Amino acid sequence: MELNAGTGGNGSHKTASERDEVAALESLQFTDEIRRLMSAPGGDNASSFTALLELPAPQAVQLIQSPDSAKLIAAPAPAPAPAPAPNVDDFRGSFQFPFNCGLIDRAARFSVFAGDGNINGNNKSNSPEPTSYNSSASLQKPVKSEPAETESSQPLVSDPTVENRSVKRKDREKVKGSSKKSKTSAKESSDDAEKLPYVHVRARRGQATDSHSLAERARREKINARMKLLQDLVPGCSKISGTALVLDEIINHVQSLQRQVEFLSMRLAAVNPRIDFNLDSVFTAESGSLMDSNFSGMVIPMMWPEVQLNGNRQQYPQQLHLDAFQQPVSGREEVCNSYITPENSLLSYDSSGNSASLHSNQLKMEL
Amino acid sequence: MNPSSLKSRFTTRFLRALTKINAHKPISSSSPGPGEIFQRYRRIKVAADKSMAYSVRSRRTWSRATLWRLRTRSPRSRLATHARRSWVKTRSTRAASHGKEKKEDGGTVEAEELRELVPGGEAMDLCNLLDETAHYIKCLTTQLDILDRQECTSREL
Repeated sequence: MELNAGTGGNGSHKTASERDEVAALESLQFTDEIRRLMSAPGGDNASSFTALLELPAPQAVQLIQSPDSAKLIAAPAPAPAPAPAPNVDDFRGSFQFPFNCGLIDRAARFSVFAGDGNINGNNKSNSPEPTSYNSSASLQKPVKSEPAETESSQPLVSDPTVENRSVKRKDREKVKGSSKKSKTSAKESSDDAEKLPYVHVRARRGQATDSHSLAERARREKINARMKLLQDLVPGCSKISGTALVLDEIINHVQSLQRQVEFLSMRLAAVNPRIDFNLDSVFTAESGSLMDSNFSGMVIPMMWPEVQLNGNRQQYPQQLHLDAFQQPVSGREEVCNSYITPENSLLSYDSSGNSASLHSNQLKMEL
Repeated sequence: MNPSSLKSRFTTRFLRALTKINAHKPISSSSPGPGEIFQRYRRIKVAADKSMAYSVRSRRTWSRATLWRLRTRSPRSRLATHARRSWVKTRSTRAASHGKEKKEDGGTVEAEELRELVPGGEAMDLCNLLDETAHYIKCLTTQLDILDRQECTSREL
């Protein structure tokens, strides 16, 4: 990618951040223009983001300041489609901008006012900045589900558009952090609610305090927690960010598991007829040999504690089985051989008579 | 090894069911026809699912749904399926109104697929659905593990 080549370390940061951003953004319900913009250059994640970055620097800077960010983004939307390459060079030049000071100030101001730039939109002194949030206010709710994934994110010091979004994300992270504290306070207050007719919840910065939004927020957090658990369960899911992709992975995993169950049961069905025959023959052979040996004298005394042995037998073969099952899969082959006898005994317990089961017991005692 | 864990419960039931299946089937010739194998496969699969669902009892929605499905597979199912479908419809509309207020395109499409996959998932909101999915995956992996080992031991003989 030209960006990488052009800007070395900075660029590599950016592309990594681009990918994360795009992944996060794709799963969001952003404005229509953005979506069009994303899909315009042909679907490649990184390149679609460079389309965004292809805004010449002054326009990008304006983006941050103007309330109608959507308009500005829409403006270059047709532009990237025909010729992505030339604009990149323009923008690359702007990387040498001293971003740090001016944009960090703006970021600081944003973080202060984002809190006040409510979803309801009622606020304060610097109107253009908070109102820029209003246009993306609808973002706030779905994006909150993403902060976990994008939390370990990029340094804020990059280009202005990335800055814009990362600032928003940082604000939401802050809010989310404080939301946890107030969640507990809300719970505590709800404990007191039995005494009080109303639940008094201290308003967090920039969060509406309707019961609706509180409940929605709680619900969303629950869903995120469960998604995290699922990500741990499903192998290979922890790297993926974005709810939709994770869900896709989970769906694939469940489907594959179900198919595997069918497949294995098919194999068992194919293999089993042989087993019956073999087991019986094997078992009768063994029991015959046992009868001849000195165990014959022990048959009668064994009948006596049969009741206790019954109980033992229930657990013992299972334990042996389960020990077998505990073995790692790699050692399966060796284990299979040694645990044939408990398998025999278990099967024989069901299919043959008492004396046979006693013999199986004796076999186990031997083991 | 925990004697009352999911794994042990499933193993006992499943092996018991397997032996029953083996006992019922007459010892056929060395190469049973595909029809026979298919029948056995159906029975074994049902046994596996059933024993897993029974090991979980009614603690989980998916196990209840599986047991219900297995019970009403029979011809007398018309009434039963009708009743079930109406129940599911009421629950799902309630869940839908509750959970799909904002049309999250990505979220609901996959959620629908997940609902189809996980038994009994039609009438649950996303939160519970994810819970059920996690437990279902855990149980499926247990089932697979034991089927695998069983098949291995059978094959060794």
